[in-house]
Amino acid sequence: MTPSRRQTLQWVMAAAALPLARWTSPALAAGPGTPAPFEVVAWPPTLPPPPPAQGYGRDPNLMEPKVTWPLTLSTAQRATVDMLGDMILPADGKSPGAGALGVGGFVDEWISAPYPVQRRDRELLLGGLIWLDAQSRALHQAEFTAITASHRAALLDALTVETPDARLAKPVAFMDGLRYLFVLGYYSLEEGKADMGYIGDQPTPGEYPGPTPEALAHYAGVLRELGLPTD
Amino acid sequence: MTLDTFDPATTTVDVIIVGSGAAGGMAAFSLTQAGLRCLILEAGRDYDPQSEVNMMAPESAAPLRGAATPDKPFGYFDATVGGGWEVDGEPYTMREGSDFRWYRPRMLGGRTNHWGRHAPRWGPYDFKPFSRDGLGVDWPIGYDDVAPFYDRVERMIGVNGGRLELENHPDSPANCLMPPPKPRVPEMLLKATCESMGIPVRAAHTAVLTRDMPHDVAPRSACFNATPCTRGCTIGAFFQTTTSFLPIAKATGRLTVVTDAMVSKVVMAGKDRAAGVEYVDRKTGARHKVEARAVVLAAGTLETTRLLLNSGESPAGLANASGELGRNLTDSTGASFRAFVPALADRPRYNEDGIGGQHVYIPFWLYGEQKRGELDFARGYHFEIGGRFGIPPAATLPRVWGAGLKKAVRAASGATIGMTLRGEMIPNKDTFCEIDQGVKDRFGIPVLRFSFRWSQHELNQVAHGQRIAHAVFKRMNATILSPELPPEKLITAGGEIIHELGTARMGADPRSSVVDSYGQAWDVKNLFLMDGAIFASGAHKNPTLTILALALRASERLAARLKSGALA
Ligand SMILES: Cc1cc2nc3c(=O)[nH]c(=O)nc-3n(C[C@H](O)[C@H](O)[C@H](O)COP(=O)(O)OP(=O)(O)OC[C@H]3O[C@@H](n4cnc5c(N)ncnc54)[C@H](O)[C@@H]3O)c2cc1C
Ligand code: SF4
Repeated sequence: MTPSRRQTLQWVMAAAALPLARWTSPALAAGPGTPAPFEVVAWPPTLPPPPPAQGYGRDPNLMEPKVTWPLTLSTAQRATVDMLGDMILPADGKSPGAGALGVGGFVDEWISAPYPVQRRDRELLLGGLIWLDAQSRALHQAEFTAITASHRAALLDALTVETPDARLAKPVAFMDGLRYLFVLGYYSLEEGKADMGYIGDQPTPGEYPGPTPEALAHYAGVLRELGLPTD
Repeated sequence: MTLDTFDPATTTVDVIIVGSGAAGGMAAFSLTQAGLRCLILEAGRDYDPQSEVNMMAPESAAPLRGAATPDKPFGYFDATVGGGWEVDGEPYTMREGSDFRWYRPRMLGGRTNHWGRHAPRWGPYDFKPFSRDGLGVDWPIGYDDVAPFYDRVERMIGVNGGRLELENHPDSPANCLMPPPKPRVPEMLLKATCESMGIPVRAAHTAVLTRDMPHDVAPRSACFNATPCTRGCTIGAFFQTTTSFLPIAKATGRLTVVTDAMVSKVVMAGKDRAAGVEYVDRKTGARHKVEARAVVLAAGTLETTRLLLNSGESPAGLANASGELGRNLTDSTGASFRAFVPALADRPRYNEDGIGGQHVYIPFWLYGEQKRGELDFARGYHFEIGGRFGIPPAATLPRVWGAGLKKAVRAASGATIGMTLRGEMIPNKDTFCEIDQGVKDRFGIPVLRFSFRWSQHELNQVAHGQRIAHAVFKRMNATILSPELPPEKLITAGGEIIHELGTARMGADPRSSVVDSYGQAWDVKNLFLMDGAIFASGAHKNPTLTILALALRASERLAARLKSGALA
């Protein structure tokens, strides 16, 4: 009786009109793609079941939000995730890197949660972390965190091609999932909002001021560009 | 508001009201104003938005960044208490081949605590659909009968909006509406694009105050343009009964509210007279009876009908001489479309929060074409609109990592526009609810079983909406993100839009309807239904404003009859 994730997400997006978009991963392109630049190691067989955990229930105290399940990443896995976070969303002149901001903790919280979507993501992400170490060892005789930065970058490049080879489908899906979890985890923090230039979450009594003169000037340009009436 | 001292055996009230949402809240407000002593029995727990709504916390303070889960289907901070698509210990079932969802909270104020607040008036065609196209039935009342109540309800609950000036979209008289907020850039672009294609875009009518509403007991403040409304509103800016009707009714001294009181049936004092109701204390499981001169059912369309089906002597249920109880169930149709608009990428930032939800929308505009037989579906639909700065959806981001990904996120923020379709469903014989005698809830009350089917009208309607939405997106040179789907795949499941209506419909003839136009049961003269169950048809327009207007009209008639002794 639970609606599909797609429907729920669409409903929430449209009806509740939350300013933060929800996480959905794009469909993987089918068919023959960019050839894998290396011999691809096998995806790990089934993972051990997650330890028992409790959800927060249908009536949690919303004034004191609490994660009710234990985090389950090992220290080594968490280090890999943090390193990946700093590669996927690195520090630059505008904002810090995702690993440094602790977004890896959010990834851990997500894949440890006892809900169906998160349980599916756990399979994908834990499987992916195991695969990544196996692939690193096959290529460079060391785990992902111990190989050189340029080797790590080459691996990530292979996992972010637009049309992956069939043998890389699962690893690419893993990287898609991880990338979007990092986007969600990072851009919902103050630092991420600042990075996007998000202005809001400020009580503004009185009439809603609407777009600024700069925003209106840009909009007038959009109308001209699209050949729409400007009156 | 639970009364520890409440003693059901010795309580004497004039009216028992079952439920405290839109309909029950209005009944309590109106009847106590009229001097009647009322008792609300509410299945959910007591709820105080002032102390329980975490209005300002960022989503990052919530588990999973506030993402939807089976425990909280509309996100962690959403105000729904104790329920959602499922309520623990209170199941429902479906006939083979049906897909139906029933959204229920268990809290004082019902679904008004977290509703979407889109509050359009219905128009003349919506009350006389049979006269227009020969499908379904006409209501026993027309727009002119409801209009004065719309005027009053808009002022009572606080609705903002602008003029529509369109066929079958009546405008409010002066002084009914508060001014609407300015549109945001994506909304302005949608308006310019649609109007170039002959599609109207208008200020939405939204039950959010844009001006203060002073009151001795329940003062409400104008919206401060900042927070997600579905969490609830501690300043009372959007309409929910817990910050308006219920405190005002309590202040008269004539309202008692008992929460955690799950009404199980209407108790009779004779063949055509209700004595009161029986309810189960949710905390102790104890059963109680309460008596009153009249009973108002306002438990939400489907729960009201379930109560009647579970009451009375006949296996067909109470007040069901017509056989219409449980039939004529409708929900709105729903479908969502979304696109990435390159022209909006990297646009200048400004505060785009505004009042929660859309500032403009697309009302149905093809009545002329429909009348001329140029459309392949009957009845209408509208589009609700979304598009604001925020985290861009994954589908707008290229498969890149590093500096390129950060750049892509910045560019795509605020460059997505959504059009969400809501349309009218015509009642059909395969869509109804009934009692499943084999399944009981944790209180021992038999549960509802649903049968649901969309007809070709609804399927053609959403297919039409998809063509329109995609044409609008193409005119903006946008990349469509929602896949092109056949209508059976596009349309939402029954109940999913949470506009269930019509299972105890009103009419002019007791042989084909359950209640009269004032919600009075034909078969039980002191029993009144006041929620969406009494609707003779749906409309594409969201129902709550009409539920409130009809509940006000019915409550005033009930008060007059109780005072004149007509129900004695
Ligand atoms: C997420 C969401 C978005 C929505 N958006 C919109 C919108 O934009 N516009 C619009 O017009 N409508 C919208 N709606 C629908 C709107 O909320 C309902 O139409 C409206 O609340 C119906 O009012 P009601 O009084 O019939 O039922 P409710 O508000 O549901 O109240 C019924 C009350 O009765 C109680 N009850 C049930 N059974 C029993 C029992 N056996 N004994 C005692 N008490 C009982 C319930 O606990 C509840 O408190 C939305 C709903 C949801 C959930
Ligand atoms: S946006 Fe306005 S109406 Fe909505 S919760 Fe915030 S203050 Fe209340």
